[in-house]
Amino acid sequence: MLQQIIAIFIIVFFIFRLIKQKKKKDINNNEFSLWLIFWLLALTAIILIKQIDSLVAWLGFSGEGINFLIYLAVLALFYLVFRLQLSLAKLDRDLTKIIRHLSLNDKKEL
Amino acid sequence: MKIICVIPAFNEAKNISQVVAEVRPYVQEVVVVDDNSQDNTAALAEMTGATVLRHLINRGQGAALQTGNDYALKNDADIIVHFDGDNQFLAAEIPDMVKPLLENEAEIVFGSRFLQKKADFPPLKKYLIYPLAKIFTRLFLGIKLSDPQNGFRAFSRQAAQKIHIDNRAMAHNSEIQIKAFQQKLKIVEIPITVVYHEFGQKLSDGLKIAKDLLIHKIIK
Repeated sequence: MLQQIIAIFIIVFFIFRLIKQKKKKDINNNEFSLWLIFWLLALTAIILIKQIDSLVAWLGFSGEGINFLIYLAVLALFYLVFRLQLSLAKLDRDLTKIIRHLSLNDKKEL
Repeated sequence: MKIICVIPAFNEAKNISQVVAEVRPYVQEVVVVDDNSQDNTAALAEMTGATVLRHLINRGQGAALQTGNDYALKNDADIIVHFDGDNQFLAAEIPDMVKPLLENEAEIVFGSRFLQKKADFPPLKKYLIYPLAKIFTRLFLGIKLSDPQNGFRAFSRQAAQKIHIDNRAMAHNSEIQIKAFQQKLKIVEIPITVVYHEFGQKLSDGLKIAKDLLIHKIIK
């Protein structure tokens, strides 16, 4: 119970920070919505941890609901790293285009 | 027929003058793409008579080759030859590479170290890295060529217009071959000689090439 309360406080803290970032316009609407949904789902999962225990057992997994959530979190992290790598690759490609453009233009000007 | 030879170069001060001087008699223009070298590669290439394009940031061999292709196409090249700046190819073999294009037997010509001519391979490359690369390119990329990683090639103007090199690092070799097959270009392989001065790509580079090809396929 105490762990649940601590977890809820941490999540609420992050939601407040998120709202602050949005007010300062540090993040756009899409990012705000994505992270708000993420933290609200986390909050729901913490509040309904007993029900998740039952759901996990019903699905046939051994272990507690919290373990299941950790597995899901690891999967989500892998996916986010993958997305990050793809966006870095796109940025890298755009950087090459700029360098190429500058290189060809320099030649034209000489 | 205007033939432009594109030579990507990164810190090749030791070899670039000799390479440019040897290539010049066989083509109308030599373009050295200096990939942000920290030595005087660009100045030496210019002094030897090459057109020099400079990358402000090091972008890799694939990026340098595409910069060279863009320049060559803008400057009315009929044939574009890719040649390495480290003095491992023989400039005297450029006419052999260009011949199938001039005779309309091919739209793109790839040099191969595995045909008639002998290449002095390091054993690790000969018995492990190249066979693995060949299996990978045949099974996963559908490329049926004898040499999966060779930087000596020649494009007709039309082929260069159809193939845009997106992989900025070493995966461009496989990328060009894949695109040549996808575009159903007339492909010819020509035996070439390679003189190894250093080991070159390692097995770990091969794995990086596979990863780069995969990522570029996804972000396409």
